[in-house]
Amino acid sequence: MKIAVVVQRYGLDINGGAELHARYVAEHLAAHADVEVLTSCAHDYITWRNELPAGRETLNGVPVHRFPVSRQRVVEQFARLSARVFEQPHSLAHELAWLESEGPTSPALIRYIQQNQDHFDYFIFFSFRYYHAFHGIRAVAGRSLLVPTAEREGAVGLSMFAPVFRSVRAIMYNSFEEREMIRAVSDNGSVPHVVVGIGSEVPSETKPERFRQHYGIQSPFVVYVGRIDENKGCKELFAYFQRYASAIGGDLLLVLMGNSILQIPDHPRIRHLGFVSDEDKFNAIAASEALIMPSYFESLSMVALEAWALGRPVLANGRCDVLTGQCIRSNGGLYYTSYQEFRETLHLIESNGPVAHALGDNGRAFYRRHYDWPVIERKYMDMLNQLQQADRAGQAPGRAEPLPGWWDRRRVTCRPANDVVRDLPSGPALKKARRP
Amino acid sequence: MPSEFTVRSDSVDVEQIMGRIQARIREKRGVDYTEDEIQKLANVTIEKFLDPTRVRSELLELYLKGRDASEPGTVPQNFTFTRYEIYKSSRGIPGKIIGALRLMLSPILKLFINPNPIIHALQSQSLINAHNEHIERLNYALIHNLVVELTRVGIEVRNLKMRVESLSSRLDFDERRARALESAVQYRPGAGLAAAEPVRERPAQQPHTDRRDADTGEGPAKGDAQRRRRRRRRGRGTPGSAGPMSAEGSESGQSGSDHEDSGLDNGPDDRPAGAAPAPAPTPTPAATAASDGGSHATESARPAAPDQERHTTDQ
Repeated sequence: MKIAVVVQRYGLDINGGAELHARYVAEHLAAHADVEVLTSCAHDYITWRNELPAGRETLNGVPVHRFPVSRQRVVEQFARLSARVFEQPHSLAHELAWLESEGPTSPALIRYIQQNQDHFDYFIFFSFRYYHAFHGIRAVAGRSLLVPTAEREGAVGLSMFAPVFRSVRAIMYNSFEEREMIRAVSDNGSVPHVVVGIGSEVPSETKPERFRQHYGIQSPFVVYVGRIDENKGCKELFAYFQRYASAIGGDLLLVLMGNSILQIPDHPRIRHLGFVSDEDKFNAIAASEALIMPSYFESLSMVALEAWALGRPVLANGRCDVLTGQCIRSNGGLYYTSYQEFRETLHLIESNGPVAHALGDNGRAFYRRHYDWPVIERKYMDMLNQLQQADRAGQAPGRAEPLPGWWDRRRVTCRPANDVVRDLPSGPALKKARRP
Repeated sequence: MPSEFTVRSDSVDVEQIMGRIQARIREKRGVDYTEDEIQKLANVTIEKFLDPTRVRSELLELYLKGRDASEPGTVPQNFTFTRYEIYKSSRGIPGKIIGALRLMLSPILKLFINPNPIIHALQSQSLINAHNEHIERLNYALIHNLVVELTRVGIEVRNLKMRVESLSSRLDFDERRARALESAVQYRPGAGLAAAEPVRERPAQQPHTDRRDADTGEGPAKGDAQRRRRRRRRGRGTPGSAGPMSAEGSESGQSGSDHEDSGLDNGPDDRPAGAAPAPAPTPTPAATAASDGGSHATESARPAAPDQERHTTDQ
């Protein structure tokens, strides 16, 4: 079976969530099928500037084919179009213009997919919201699988994506919450799907003491790993933790790992270590009391899964449906929606060792049951085999829904995308799927 | 301190733990508001704050418009103004040709008027507008944050007030109870205890004259003995202090009990073991009258039950 993994950026030093997800999946599926990665020459997701050479190379044993981006993103234009489609009534033409402006605009990549579609059995597209996924799926709908990596944000509410969600052959969701959201927005219940998620390259052994010695941290601590950004809920985390530190006392530290684009408060119990190696990251998580995930929007938090894989509990932002759902389904973490809940949950984890251990153990069991690589690989291969069987049985593959005509595309009939998202059902998806 | 409840580690159920934590938070808070509710309250507050009857009549309208500048037609958009702006035409390709012609003919226009100061003024105005918009956004954010914080503080003050009220009522109760205990100890050895017990069984509306006999259980002779004992106790006070002390005692129940303490002559506590202490007496006019030597001294040591209080005032 020959599979193409199509993703907006690809590289060993590209650590964006969806990109890393795509690389892991490509590398693991390479053991079961003939995998090729199709991607752009961009390295920076803001400008999509062509930084990597076009053509073929091999990374970790996987062939990668890069295509140039025809135009860089113009930030002002993108901001203006974003304001239009997210906040105002607009037309489909506005949405298509927004997609072009968002990038990475690579007609060469789409042309290649169209011309070489018979060379591949299936195309697995990552990240629904980008140019490559929208136009790529429209080009080869009958052979396309989608890993949407959708978060609860405006792009999901754009009307142009609903036909995409309906026309793919199969969807590999990251979580039940993501599935419910996409179903609500596109009514794509008949499309074959599976909730997969992703595993992680967690080492079998960690050395927490080495981390403590290296960074001189002897007190108990909770850890945050990721970009330190207001959009990730870090500002709220700082405010809550400072209040907690002054109200509760004790010596619990908040250790931050990752690059910061937010001013970190100068507080004796907050330590910022900057960007650290994977080894240090895993050692730190293993040494911590818990991992804190303050983000409001996540399609799947890999670092939360890594904490569970290492047997540590997670304290998540309860406003993120996905994280809340994961905590409840795994019984491996607590969540907060206010300072009072933050104080109570953190204090429970800090002061009640047996409960923290039990949460961590539950998390580890959850990870092994659902996110270990053999499980993930099996889910992907089962889906691909199921599609192949359907193809052999002569069942007609899906076709992309045609775009409306020139005039209809320009009629202002689309609601502001933020309004659409606001009206979507929210909360963790528990009733229908208590266990994955 | 949070999280003092116990959670069994062998059967951790996150939903259950969160339910208990949330219930505990609700219990602890006088008024339970989520962050979203505080935001809503703050929005209400800002609108009340901008009530046109209290401040400039158009301020509310202006501010509400300013909150959503993107709403079409409410606030005019700022413009960018270049030196070529006045020569442009909006008619597509013909417009471009017209614009080019105007630009070509601009030296002739300058023979009649000089457009440069106008262009300069409009350019400056555009920049000033942009700057003002920025400042206005900052101001609005600042005011909104202040109102949110004010709302939060208001709620906290309300909760604290409730706690203070609760604490003060508890304190009152404790004080009354302490006074009652002191009085009970003071009156127990003699007729006080014997008198207090039948009172509880007595119907509340019984006429006062009959009750006196029933209280003592021995008729007027016992009552006289009590009166004599009280007179003796007064006489034992500091010489010359009896007059003023009595006067103070008649002003308030608190002083009255102090006065009784000063003349303590109770003897050993012969109350049966396990007997409940008498509840607190409310300092009523009747109680002060009793301490002045009225004929119902035992009532001042009795619990200040509402119906009894009514009796004393009826007297």
